[in-house]
Amino acid sequence: MDIFFYWEKGVKTYQQLIEDVNNQQKLKRYIKEISVYDVLKDLIVSLISGDKVILLDNDFTDEEIKNLGISADELNEEIELKKDKISTFEELLDQIEKNKENWEIVLYTSGTTGRPKRVKHKLDSLARGVKISEEYKNNVWAFAYNPTHFAGLQVFFQAFYNKNPLIYVFDMDRSKIEEVLNKFKVTHISATPTFYRSILPYIKGQILSVERLTMGGEKYDETLENQLLNFFPNAKIRNVYASTEAGSIFSAKGDIFRISSRIRDQIKISEESELLIHKSLLGESETLELNGEWYKTGDLVEKIDDEHFRFISRKTEMINVGGYKVNPHEVENEIKKVNGVIDVIVKARNNKITGNILIAEVEIKEGLDKKEIEKEIIKTLKGKLQSWKIPRIITFVDNIELTRTGKKVRK
Amino acid sequence: MEIEDKLKDIINIILEKNEKERIEVLNDNLSLRNDLEMDSLDLAEFTVRIEDEFGVDVFEDGIVDTIKEVIDKIEKR
Repeated sequence: MDIFFYWEKGVKTYQQLIEDVNNQQKLKRYIKEISVYDVLKDLIVSLISGDKVILLDNDFTDEEIKNLGISADELNEEIELKKDKISTFEELLDQIEKNKENWEIVLYTSGTTGRPKRVKHKLDSLARGVKISEEYKNNVWAFAYNPTHFAGLQVFFQAFYNKNPLIYVFDMDRSKIEEVLNKFKVTHISATPTFYRSILPYIKGQILSVERLTMGGEKYDETLENQLLNFFPNAKIRNVYASTEAGSIFSAKGDIFRISSRIRDQIKISEESELLIHKSLLGESETLELNGEWYKTGDLVEKIDDEHFRFISRKTEMINVGGYKVNPHEVENEIKKVNGVIDVIVKARNNKITGNILIAEVEIKEGLDKKEIEKEIIKTLKGKLQSWKIPRIITFVDNIELTRTGKKVRK
Repeated sequence: MEIEDKLKDIINIILEKNEKERIEVLNDNLSLRNDLEMDSLDLAEFTVRIEDEFGVDVFEDGIVDTIKEVIDKIEKR
């Protein structure tokens, strides 16, 4: 099977990918494509030509793009490609290897202070976790992440370097997923707990081809793990800890994570129980919060012994909605722009479907119609923010509760 | 108000937000995902609103999809 990428609307083989790459004369520096195949193809084109690119979510609104400091001219900038014609997959890999020192990619991740922050990666930091061997050559991957996010890229590189098929199920009609997993005899799935929860109701029989299920991006969920084993009886389940800054670093069975000996010197736990990662494991960013040479992850952990730890909670205010980290300040800033709003606080409300959803408590000027303001807030946010950043429940309060230091109380 | 009426209100809040037609009759076999086309975020909102109204986490121990399953969970509280 020579499939490179399958999605609901089509399929491309590795040979077709090579033809498409050869035929492409220009490349947009800012990759913002609706079609996931186009995102991956552009990414591969940039790798071959050694051009620096920026990857953007396809659902970023104009407002969000503007807030990132990207102008319309920049967004439309095109690169004239200089690349040799490629005939085989091996030549493709050779070209990538040859140009990898020039290549660079910028990703955006939810920032802690307002707008999303830029993180720059070289191929080495992005593909660090990739394992290539004979043992992996028959793997078939279900692709269940947003391709513009770190986790998606990691799955892509793992599959690509082993010339495995990628079966795109992220946006797929849930009732078709079981059939597709069986049809392509998918062996590996990597997804968030939210994604797994969303497909379980549609799976009727057991899917025997799956050998490995990886969960990441959200809190570990033991109930889900047990439910998954009913439908995927041959699968081993693994949890990974990954971040846009550092990529996939730890993996676990259950909720206890192991620090491999390879990186033991680059990981430490602070006196306040915060997980720290040495900067040598990170992508490059001017806005990363470093403490000397150490990146503060904002994750509080419990040390079990020198090799193992368990996650306790987040130290920062970032809210995880179905695997997407949302900065409540970004949402509050947009709500405050709505006429009649005096103040607002955005909080997390936990649930069994997406881990958290956002709720907002809003203080408005006296005498205004709450229903109308609520509608106005939702309408405004829909045009400005990605859907998971929009509070699902809005309540109206007389005043926003403040702590004694004048800070808002988020819990 | 009956459980069904309150449930219908909650569903209509979500449908309206998604610019879909309101439902007038709550059919037992209605599927949240297939018929009402709720995505994960919609379902998350649904479960939180139900918890606020009835004090039950309907998704706590497994998969719930039809209106009947939801009502059963609420009545068992």
